[in-house]
This record gives sequence, structure tokens and C-alpha cells, in this order.
Amino acid sequence: MDEINQVEILIVEDNPSDAEIALRAFKKNKLTNKILVVEDGEEALDYLFCKGQYATNNKVSRPKIILLDLKLPKINGLEVLKEIKSHPETKIIPVIVLTSSKEESDIIESYQLGVNSYIVKPVDFEKFVEAVRDLGFYWLLLNQLPRL
Amino acid sequence: MSTNKDNLQFRIITLALLMVAHLIAFSSPDTLVAHNYSISYSTFDTILIGSEPDYPPYCIVDEDGQPDGFSIELFMAAAKAAGLQVKIKIGIWEVIKNELADGKIDALPLVGRTPEREEIFGFTLPYLKLHGAVFVRKDTKDIHSLRDLTEKKLIIMKGDNADEYARRMNLSEDIFNTNTFEEAFQMLANGEGDAVITQRVMGLRLLENMENNTIKPLDINLPDFRQDFCFAVKKGNQELLNQLNEGLSVVIANDTYQHIYFKWFGPAIKAELSTEDIVRVALFIFFPLVIIMVVLWVLVLRKEVKRRTRRLRNEITNHKNTWHELTLKQEKLAASEDQIRLLLDSTAEGIYGIDNKGDCTLINKSAIELLGYENDSEIIGKNMHILIHHTKADGSRYPIDDCAIYNSFIAGKRTHVDTEVLWRKDGSSFPVEYYSYPIQQDEQVVGAVITFWDISDKKRTEKELLKLTEELELTVEKRTAELNEKVLKLDKSQQAMLYMVEDLNRITAELKNERRKLELSNKELEAFTYSVSHDLRAPMRAINGFSNFLLEDYADKLDQEGRRYLDTIKKNAIKMDKLITDLLSLSRVTKADLVYTTVDMQQMAKRAFEDMATTNEKQEFIFEVKNLPSIKGDATLLTQVWQNLVGNALKYCSKASVKNVEITAKDAKDEIVYKINDSGAGFNEKYKDKLFGMFQRLHRDNEFEGTGVGLAIVKRIITRHGGRVWAEGEVGQGARFYFALPKQL
Repeated sequence: MDEINQVEILIVEDNPSDAEIALRAFKKNKLTNKILVVEDGEEALDYLFCKGQYATNNKVSRPKIILLDLKLPKINGLEVLKEIKSHPETKIIPVIVLTSSKEESDIIESYQLGVNSYIVKPVDFEKFVEAVRDLGFYWLLLNQLPRL
Repeated sequence: MSTNKDNLQFRIITLALLMVAHLIAFSSPDTLVAHNYSISYSTFDTILIGSEPDYPPYCIVDEDGQPDGFSIELFMAAAKAAGLQVKIKIGIWEVIKNELADGKIDALPLVGRTPEREEIFGFTLPYLKLHGAVFVRKDTKDIHSLRDLTEKKLIIMKGDNADEYARRMNLSEDIFNTNTFEEAFQMLANGEGDAVITQRVMGLRLLENMENNTIKPLDINLPDFRQDFCFAVKKGNQELLNQLNEGLSVVIANDTYQHIYFKWFGPAIKAELSTEDIVRVALFIFFPLVIIMVVLWVLVLRKEVKRRTRRLRNEITNHKNTWHELTLKQEKLAASEDQIRLLLDSTAEGIYGIDNKGDCTLINKSAIELLGYENDSEIIGKNMHILIHHTKADGSRYPIDDCAIYNSFIAGKRTHVDTEVLWRKDGSSFPVEYYSYPIQQDEQVVGAVITFWDISDKKRTEKELLKLTEELELTVEKRTAELNEKVLKLDKSQQAMLYMVEDLNRITAELKNERRKLELSNKELEAFTYSVSHDLRAPMRAINGFSNFLLEDYADKLDQEGRRYLDTIKKNAIKMDKLITDLLSLSRVTKADLVYTTVDMQQMAKRAFEDMATTNEKQEFIFEVKNLPSIKGDATLLTQVWQNLVGNALKYCSKASVKNVEITAKDAKDEIVYKINDSGAGFNEKYKDKLFGMFQRLHRDNEFEGTGVGLAIVKRIITRHGGRVWAEGEVGQGARFYFALPKQL
């Protein structure tokens, strides 16, 4: 339980391969170990709001950043984003959408819902890794996170 | 007046002479003695005179019964001066008069001198002049002159001068005598007579004494009743007469007379009482006064004359001014008249004026001309209805009583007629339009003014118009009939059209339906595309990724061949991904609606280069974009076009020694042709038709990689814009790609 509470990065990704690549990117660049991967939207919300299998005494769990894929089973990414950004306790957590969708509609909707960053997953694996590393450096090191 | 003056002179001379005579007599009594005069000083003779009891203020009786009065006193004085003593007896006039005549008495103190009496009495100088008057009751209105007395009853004292006068003058038939004037007045007051004639002064005194105020003297002059009063003696008694004269003269001379006069009359009595006083007054007061008055009068007259003269002068000046003004006004009037005449003659309409009888009083030039005369003398004064207005347009006679002009101006109204004709001098007529206005002066109609003009042209035009109208109506009828036919035909067509429209509507509905279906399938396609873009790519990434992981982590466990296999896997994954991207693009091109804006092609081409070229390429390449004109098109799609074309240019120059890309444009009337010229590998024109085909490549993959979709996309986009694409090239010498876009959408 402590480990979970110390989660620094929450990755919401249904594709295990993509998830693994991302994990590898963070690890390789020695950004952090405290990463939790959830595979659908429901689980993501459960974790964040300490419900279901993640029920605790706390009201919310607050990772440092959330990496969010849009195409998710059950509850899709935009809905999750909406939930996160509409609750005052979770609103302040930077959410970075990391998706293969380049659709303008997805981009606009995400920003309208208050996404902090939108990154299209490079198809090229190397570029993908680079992107993750970059965003990791940026959001965890350069960017000033609020103390939660 | 003149008689007075004569008398005055006479008296003065007489007086002077007497005075001189008296003085001489006193100085030499012996020498200057006339035969008729004898004066004795030593003995006082006594004489007896008579006196009336009631003839104030001359002879009266005082309270003691003694005789008194002016005449008495005077007589006494005169007698005394003459050395005579007097005894007086009282009696009524008639009696004492007769007694003197008879010699029973010696003298009378108060006798009026008349021609009759001169027969019987001797008179002294007159010492008194008395005037007579006619006394009447105050209410008597009908006596204004002596003539009026003729029918009246006169009351006069017997034997008085008045009596003799009245009888002498035959004043009236009816003369009643009384003994005294008191009686007479009493009778008059009682109404027993009409008038009393007597001395004025005496009468007034008597009335005063009687306390009578009902009788008054009239202002009638009795010219023959002016009497001198003297002392009288019996005729022949010259001695006494002389004595009395002497005494009287003395009395008069030594102011005794004055004294007595003043005593009895006061100073304010008329000249009858003391002629000398009066004379004196007249001399010293009256005449100077008269002279002063005359002078004043002259002065006043002079002033008056001056005033009048001044007034007259002013009047003359005024008249002159008025005259001047009138002259000016006349001139103005003349000028106005000229102006009016000028105006009248300058109008094109004929104007003439007529009087109440219908005769012409004025006429202007145009009227004369219109009526065919030479000058106004032929018309002025003639009756206009008879001259020019005698017959109607249809040839029937136009009686004057019916004349519209006449009837209207008689009624004080104006009229406007355009259905009549006027007749010229030569007997021809012309249709005319006229206005007639009555002329009013002081609310009376004195004539009329008629303005007219020839409307032959107008009438003719009207006729023509009528004819045209009729023709037009015929034509209209004909056309209407034709139109009706057409309308019927149109109706039929319309019906047909309506059916068509119904069909069209139906078809439109069907089309709409189809479109909806199409939209639906588009949406499905979109979803599909989305799915593809997501789901197809992900595995690619995994393949790529894990291949890399393998290489990274297990490279030492693999031999070269193994590594090559992994590479191949990677490459293929990448390629597949690109294909998918391109397919997605293509599908987007096909489905998307064009959003037309004015696209800055210059900017877009440059941007494409910026985006597509690597840092190295940017340095190595010479990339020129020359003045590309803007065009209307979908910005997103056209961006794609540039990216693809520029990307191609870059790719195919990568192996060339000269890396030149040049973009130009040409204005070709209805379209703009853009050209991208590269100095790259070029292509064999034999295969140029394949260039834009789907998945078509003219180079092997190991020469230049590619999916063969790029140009297909370009073609599809340009075609959707209504344009066209083509290319030229030579192997190894570069290629030129053209696309033309229409200016008008």
C-alpha cells in the first residue's frame, strides 16, 4: 500500500507492449521507479479516487503525473480526463495524453477538457522512447510540480 | 358825432365870444353895451317862475314842499348872477306853460326848445340837451322801432316836448295824455298803455323814484327828439332874456354849473348833461384813446397781415410741393403705364379688357395679331362679343346674353373656357382657350380682363391623340386575344411543370435520402479510419519496439544474420506504418469537404520546405519560391500537396550533386499553373501516366523509398479542386511537376 501511495507516474494504457516501452523509457533514463500501470479507464479512476480495489482511507491518490491513452476499453480516455479535471482534488495533477490518434477532434476535446499536454505516439520506436524520455525530463524535472 | 363837433365848435366860439363880451363889459361898462342888453346892479328885481312838481331831477319838490332840482338850482344861480330875485310857484306843466304864455309868470326854468314854442317863448342859451326814449314794460317784445308805435297806445304828459314830438311826428293815432309822467308810468305799469315817450334821463330817474322795475327804456333812437333845454321867457321879454343869458353864462363860466351838475347827476352821466365836460373828455381821453386804439389796431392788423402772409406763403410752398409730388407721381404713373404696356405686349397670350358694356378698353399686341388686325384702333371701343365672339364653334349663332364671359363677370366671377372659337378680321375662326377675370373697383365690377390663346394645335393634337387611342385600343384588343391564347398554353405548360416539379421534389427527396445514407456511411468510414489509425499502428510500434529491445539487450547473443533479420522486421514495420498513414491521408482527401479560403501559396510552399527538410537538407539545398500568386482552395489539402511535392523533390535530389528546387507559377487566364522543378533523379517519361497512379512507383524501393501513394494523393486533391496535374522529366536530369488550379471556383 505504501508503494502505491508513493506512485509518481500513473500510466493508463491498454496496450501492454506500449506500456512496456514506456516503462523501459522511464527506467532507462533513470527518471523514476515508482510507476503504476493500469489497463483501462475504470481502474484508473478507481485508483485515483481510492475506490474498488484501491479503496483506502484516503480520498484521492495523487501521482505526480498521469500518462493517459485515449483509446481505452470500458471508460475511454476522454471521459477519464474529464473526471480527473473536474474534481478539485485531482484537477491539479498534470495529465499528458499519449495516444496514437492525431485526430484534430481528439486534440481539441482534450485541450478543452484541460489536458496539460498532448503527445502523439511516434510510430518509430526510437522516437517513441525519445518522446517519453523528453516528456519525463520535462514534467518531472523541469516543470515545477505542486506539492501534493 | 359830427353834429356834436359842430355844436362844440359853435359853443366854444359862442362861449369865447360871450366871455370876451363879459370881460369887456366888466372892464368898460359904458362903452360895450349892446342895445338889447341892459344890466342893472343895484336893484334886485324879483321875478316869478313856475316849476313842475315832478320832473326829476330837473324840477322836483323836496320833503318840505319846496321846489328843487337841477333846473331850479341852476336858475337860481343864474338869476343871482344876474341880480335877480326869484319866486317860485309849483304847478303842472300844462298850466305853468300857459301861464308863461299869458305872462302870468316871468320865466320857466326848464323848457324844451321847439319850433312851435319859439312862437310863444323866448329861449336862453340851452344849458341841457336831453334825449328822448320810448319806455315800455319789460315784457313788451313787439316794439323795435318808431314804426312799431303806430298801432300802439302812447301815454305822454300833456304839453311835454314828447307830446309835441309825438304829435308832430304822428307816431301814433292813440296818444293819451296825463298830467304828469308819474301818472303815465303808472298807467304803463298797469298795462293801460303800450309805451311812454319822454326824456330818457328823466324817465329813468322817475322810475327810480317810483321804485319801479317793470319798465325799461328801449334803445330806439329818437333823432328828432333831441332837445335843447333853456330857460324861457315870454316872447318879447328881451330884457329878462338877456339877463338870464348873462347869468347863465356866468354860472357856466364860473363852474357853478359844473357844481350843480355834479350835485344832481354825478360825474358819470352822459354828454346830455354837460356837453363841455363831455367835449373835454372826448378831447383829452376819447380821441387819444381812439388814436391809441387805431395805432393798436394797425399793429394788430400788421401782425395779422404778417401772419396771413406767412400762412399764405406756407400754403404756396405746400402747393408747390404738392404740385411737384403730383408731377413726380404723374411721371411714375406714366412709367408704370409704359411698363404695363410693355408687359402686356410681351406676352404670347392675347389680353384684352372690356368695360361693363362689353366694349374693348385695352388690348395687347399679341391679341391684335391673333385676331388678324393691324392696330388697336380697329378694336378699342367696339363690343368684343359682336366683333370676335359672335358665333359658336359649330356655326350656330352665339347670342350676347349667353356669352360666357359676359355672364361670368356680371356675376363677379371668373371663368375658364376652352370649347369656343374666336373670329378673326378676315372672317376665319380659330379654337381658343381663355380665362376671364372680373375687374373690381370699390367692390363694384367695372369690367373684365380676358386672356386667350390659340389652341388649334392643341385641338389637332387632341384629335390625333384620340385617333391613336382608338387604334391603340384595337391593337390592345388583338394583343389581348393573342395573350389569352398564350396564357392558356402557358397554363398547360405550367401544369406540366407542376408535375415535373412534383417529380423533381420526389427525386430530391430520394437524393436527400441517399445523401443521408452517404453521410452515414461517411461517418462509418470515419470511425473506421480512426480505428485504423489507432489500432493498426499500435502493433507496429510493438513490433518495432521489441525488435529494438532485442537488439539492445540481446545483441551480443545474436549473430549478424540474426541482427539483419531484426532489421528487416523493423524496416517492414516502419514501411507498413507509412503505408497506413498514406492510406489514411488518401481517405481523408476523398471524404473531407473542401473549405475554400484564399491560400497564400508562397507561404505554404516555403513552410512545406521548412517542415519537410532536415537541417542538413536546408543547408545543402538551394530552394527558391518565386512570387506564387494566391488562389482559392482548401488550405489543409493544399498543404498536403506542397508537402508531398516538396518532400518528393527533396527525396529524389538526395543523391544528386546539384540540389536545386525551384517553384514558380504562371498566370494562364482562367487558371494558375504552379511548377516545381527539381534537379534530382528525374524519371522516364515513358512511364509518366503511371506517375500519379495508386501504389505506382517508378523507382525501386532500394533507390528511393516510398509508398507510391503521395502523388496519387496530390492528384486526387488537385482534381477535387477542379484542376489538373502532369509532370515532365528526364532520367538523371530532374523533374518538373505541374498542377493547375482554376481561379474561379
